[in-house]
Amino acid sequence: MLINKRLILAHFWLAFVVFGLALILGAWQMFVRSPLNAWHFNPELYYRSVTAHGSAMGYVFPTLIAMGFGYAITESALEKPLIGTRWAWAGFALVAVGAVVAMIPVSIGLASVLYTFYPPMVGNPFYYIGVVMVVVGSWIWVALMSINLSIWKRENPERPVPLAMFANVAGSYLWGWTAVGAALEIIFLILPVALGLKSTIDAGLARVFFSWTLHAIVYFWLIPTYIAYYTIFPRAIGGRLYSDAMARISFILFVVVAMPIGMHHLFADPQVGAGFKFMHSVFTGLVALPTLLTVFTICASAEIASRLRGGSGAFGWVRALPWQNPIMLATALSLVMLGFGGAGGLINMSYQLDASIHNTQWITGHFHLIFGGAIVIMYFAIAYDLWPHLTGRALENFGLMRAQLWLWFIGMIVTTFPWHYVGILGMPRRMAFYDYANPAISPQAFSVAISTVGGLILLISGVLFFVVLIRGQMAHRSEAGAYRFSVPVHMPERIPVALNSFGLWLALMVGLTVVNYGYPIGQLLVLKETNVPAVYVGASR
Amino acid sequence: MSEQKLFSFRNPWFGASVGVSGAIAVLAALAGLIWLPMVQPDLKISGIWDAICSAAGVPRTVPRSGGAQQPDFKTSNVVMTSQMLTHPDQVSIGRGATLAQRCAICHGPQGVSDANSPNLAGQYAAVTYKELNDFKAGARVNAVMSPFAANMGNRDMLDLAAYYSFLPRVPSSHLNDNAPAPQIVITGAPMRNIAPCGACHGDIDIKAGSPWLGGQSAVYIKAQLKAFASGGRRNDISQQMRNIARQMTAEEIDAVALYYEAQP
Amino acid sequence: MTTESDPHLGEAVAARIERRWATLSIAIVGVLVGMAIFIGIDHATMPQGHVETADPKTLHLAGEFIESNLGSAMEADGSVTVRAIGQQYSFTPQCIVVPSGTPVTLRATSADVVHGLLIEGTNINTMLVPGYVSELPVQFKAPGEHAMPCQEFCGIGHQGMWGKVKVVDKATFLGMMASQRRLSCVD
Repeated sequence: MLINKRLILAHFWLAFVVFGLALILGAWQMFVRSPLNAWHFNPELYYRSVTAHGSAMGYVFPTLIAMGFGYAITESALEKPLIGTRWAWAGFALVAVGAVVAMIPVSIGLASVLYTFYPPMVGNPFYYIGVVMVVVGSWIWVALMSINLSIWKRENPERPVPLAMFANVAGSYLWGWTAVGAALEIIFLILPVALGLKSTIDAGLARVFFSWTLHAIVYFWLIPTYIAYYTIFPRAIGGRLYSDAMARISFILFVVVAMPIGMHHLFADPQVGAGFKFMHSVFTGLVALPTLLTVFTICASAEIASRLRGGSGAFGWVRALPWQNPIMLATALSLVMLGFGGAGGLINMSYQLDASIHNTQWITGHFHLIFGGAIVIMYFAIAYDLWPHLTGRALENFGLMRAQLWLWFIGMIVTTFPWHYVGILGMPRRMAFYDYANPAISPQAFSVAISTVGGLILLISGVLFFVVLIRGQMAHRSEAGAYRFSVPVHMPERIPVALNSFGLWLALMVGLTVVNYGYPIGQLLVLKETNVPAVYVGASR
Repeated sequence: MSEQKLFSFRNPWFGASVGVSGAIAVLAALAGLIWLPMVQPDLKISGIWDAICSAAGVPRTVPRSGGAQQPDFKTSNVVMTSQMLTHPDQVSIGRGATLAQRCAICHGPQGVSDANSPNLAGQYAAVTYKELNDFKAGARVNAVMSPFAANMGNRDMLDLAAYYSFLPRVPSSHLNDNAPAPQIVITGAPMRNIAPCGACHGDIDIKAGSPWLGGQSAVYIKAQLKAFASGGRRNDISQQMRNIARQMTAEEIDAVALYYEAQP
Repeated sequence: MTTESDPHLGEAVAARIERRWATLSIAIVGVLVGMAIFIGIDHATMPQGHVETADPKTLHLAGEFIESNLGSAMEADGSVTVRAIGQQYSFTPQCIVVPSGTPVTLRATSADVVHGLLIEGTNINTMLVPGYVSELPVQFKAPGEHAMPCQEFCGIGHQGMWGKVKVVDKATFLGMMASQRRLSCVD
C-alpha cells in the first residue's frame, strides 16, 4: 500500500537526475585524464568536476534513494500511511536546497576541495553549509523512520517487525550515527575557518572525524541494495527467502560493526597510533561477515526459486533461473561485482597489503566497483520494481532493461579492472592529467584508455535507464497491485526480542565507536600544537 | 512479541553480543597496543606502558643522534600563511604611500616600473612584505635593494606592502590579451615536477607568497627564473620555486617570461 | 534443498546448513586477522609505531626539516636517514638518492596541506599530514629509478607533484656521501 507516491517519486526522480548529471561529469573526467585527450586544459576544471561528481554521487544520490525507498518500505511493509508526511517533504526540500547551495560555489570554482574536504584546504563556506543541509535533511528521515516503527510496534505488539522495515530502520540508524563524524568535522573544524572566525585547523583530527563517516557511509549506501537482495529479489523471481533470522542478523551486524572500522582509511596516516589502527583492522575483518552471510542466503534463495521452477542438478539449477527477469539479472550482476569488489576490499583492509595500493587508482577502482557497480545496479533494480507501483503505469520493455543492466555491468568492469591494474603499478589517484609520454608511466596508458571506453559504456547505460523510466511515465495505465516483499521459507513464529528491536545494537554501535574512536579523538583534541594554518582555495585574485 | 527483557544477562542475545564484542575489542586492544608494538624492533620500546602509549598515539620524540646540518647561506625567515596581510588597513596604506616615495625611482610613482624593476602595483601584500624581509635578512641579495631594506623596520615593510597591494594593477605596454598561453603555463610538465604556473601565481589559485606575474617585465621574470634554477636566488622557502625553475628549459623560461609580460 | 514433508525437519536442515556457513565465514575472518598479526610479527611491517609532531609554519626556521638538513644522511650504525618535506607542489629534495640493500629510515612531513608520498614499484606509501611527522623504515632491493608522485589531492597543481627516487649501489652511495653531509640527486 503506497499512499505518498508523489513523495517517493520525487525522491527517486531527484536522485536519478543528480545521478545523471554526475555520471556525465564522471565520463568527462575519465576522458580528459586519459591518453585519448591532449591534456591542454586548466586542471582546476577537473578538480571542480571531481568535487561535484563526488558530492553528488556520495552525498546526494544514495541519500535520496535511501530516503525514498525508506518511505516506500514504511508504507508497504507496515501497511499504513507514513506518519509525518510534512516533515518528509521538509527533509526532501532541505536535501534539494542543500545540494544546490553546495553546488553553486563548486561550479564556479570556489570550493574545488573534492568531496572528502581535505582540510587544511578550505573552500567557500556555502559548499560545506550545503552539505550539512543535505545531512540534516536526511536526519529528518532517520527520525521519521524511527517514529513510524515505534508507533507501529505499539499498535502491533504481537507481530514481528517486517524484515524490510527492520532493515530500513537499521540503515537509517547507521546513517544517523555515522554522519555525525563528518558533521562534527564540518561544523566544529571547517566551517569556523571557512567563515573566517578561525584561521587554523587540525588536519589530523579532521581526517579522524571524516574516517568515522567515510567507511560506514558505504554501508549506508549498501543497505537499500541488501534490502532489495533480501526482500525484493526472492519474490521477484518467484521464490522465497531462505532465512529471515539470518537476514536480520546481517543488518544488525552492519549496525554494530560498520562504525568502529573507519580508521582503516588512515593506515598510512601519521596522527593515529598503530594500536588503534590494528583494532580498526580487526573490526574491519568482522564487517565481511554480514556480506558473506548475505551471499549465502541470496544464493540459497535463488536455488529455492529455481527448484520451484523445476531446476535440478548440483549447478544445473542456475540455468532454470528466470534470467529474462531484470531483477534476476541485476541481482546476479550485482553479486558478481560485489564478489570482485569485496575481494579487493580484503586487500585494502589488510594492515600491510594496503601500503601497496593506498591512494592509488586501485582504490578508485575498488569503490566504483562496489558502489557504482554492485550497489547502484540494485538501485536501478529497485526503481524498475517500484516504478509501476508509483506511477500506476507498467514498465514493459524487459529487453531494454536487461540491455541497460548488462551495459552497466560491462561498463563498470571495463572501467574498474584497468584501474585496479594501474593502481598496482602505482598510478596515484585524483590527478587531472598524466604525461603518458614519460617512460615511467607510459605502461599505464593503454589500461587507462581502455577504462575510458568503460566510462562511455556507463554513459550509454545511464541514458537507457532514463529512457526506460521516462517511457514508463508515459506508458498506459495499469494497476500494479499492492507492493509486497519476499516471504521466508519458514515464517518464524516467534522472533527473539533482540532480533526485533534496536536498543541493544545501538548501544553496542555507540559503545564500540567510543572504544575505537574515543581515545584517538580525545588525544588529538587536547593536542593544540597541531593546529595548522588553513590554506584557502579558490581565493580571489 | 515475547516479554523477554532485552538488557538482561538472562537474554542469551544480550550476553553473547556484549560478550563477543567486548572480547574482540579487548583481544584486539591487547594485540594492537601491547603485543605488536613490543615485537617491533625499530620502536625501541622500554616496557608495557611505553608500548601502550606509543601504540595509542601519545606524541613522543624519538631521540636522534647528531644535530641538524646548518645552512651555509641565509634562508628566508618569514612565516607564510594563507591569511597573511589579506586585510591591510587604511592607516597602513597611508603610511606606505609616504614611504613609497623612496621606491619610485626604480619602481615608478604608481608602482609601475619602466626599468625592468618589478612592478609592485597590485602585488599581493604578503609577497612584497616577504621579499623586503628577505632582502633585509640577506636571504635575497640585490645590490640596490639590499641597502634599502637593511634600514627598514618591520612596520615600514608592512606599510609598504599594504600600500602597493592597494594600488591598481597597470597592464604593461606589451599587453596582448590574445597571446596564446604556452603549454608550460597551462599544464606545466607533470613528470618534471612543474605544476601549472597559475596554480600558485593567482591565475587559477594562490599559494601564499607567490607573486602576481601579469604585466611583469619579461627581462625581470627571466632573470629570476634563471637565478632560481642556478641557485643564485635561494629565498624561496624550502626550494619551492627552485624545484620548478631548475626543471625548466631555456625555451620554456623565455616563453613564460614573454607570456606573463603580455598579461594584464 | 530438502524435500522433507515435515516442515520442522526442513527448517532444522536449513538452520544447520546456515550454521555451517556462518562458522566458515567466521573462520575466514579469523584467518585474515591472524594473517595480519603474523605478518606484523614475522615481517615487522606495521604502520608507524608512534606519533610525532612538527609545526608546518616553521619547518624552514629550525629543527630537522630545515632546507640544509633535508636529503639523505648517513647514521653511525650504517643505516641511512632520508628527510623530506612535501609542499605545494613539490617534494624537497625533489630527487632522493638512497643506497640499495641498506636500511633506510624515511622521515617526512608537510609544510602546508595534506600530501602523500608514494614510490612506484615499491610498497612505500605514506601520508604527509601537516602538524605530524611520518616515519617509515624502508629498504630498496636493487639500483634503479622510481617515480615518486604525491598521492593525495593537495590543490590545483597536484598533478604536477612528481618527485624521483634514485637507488644506487652502496659503494656509489658511500662515494657520493664522502664529499657531502646531506645528499640528494637534485642537479
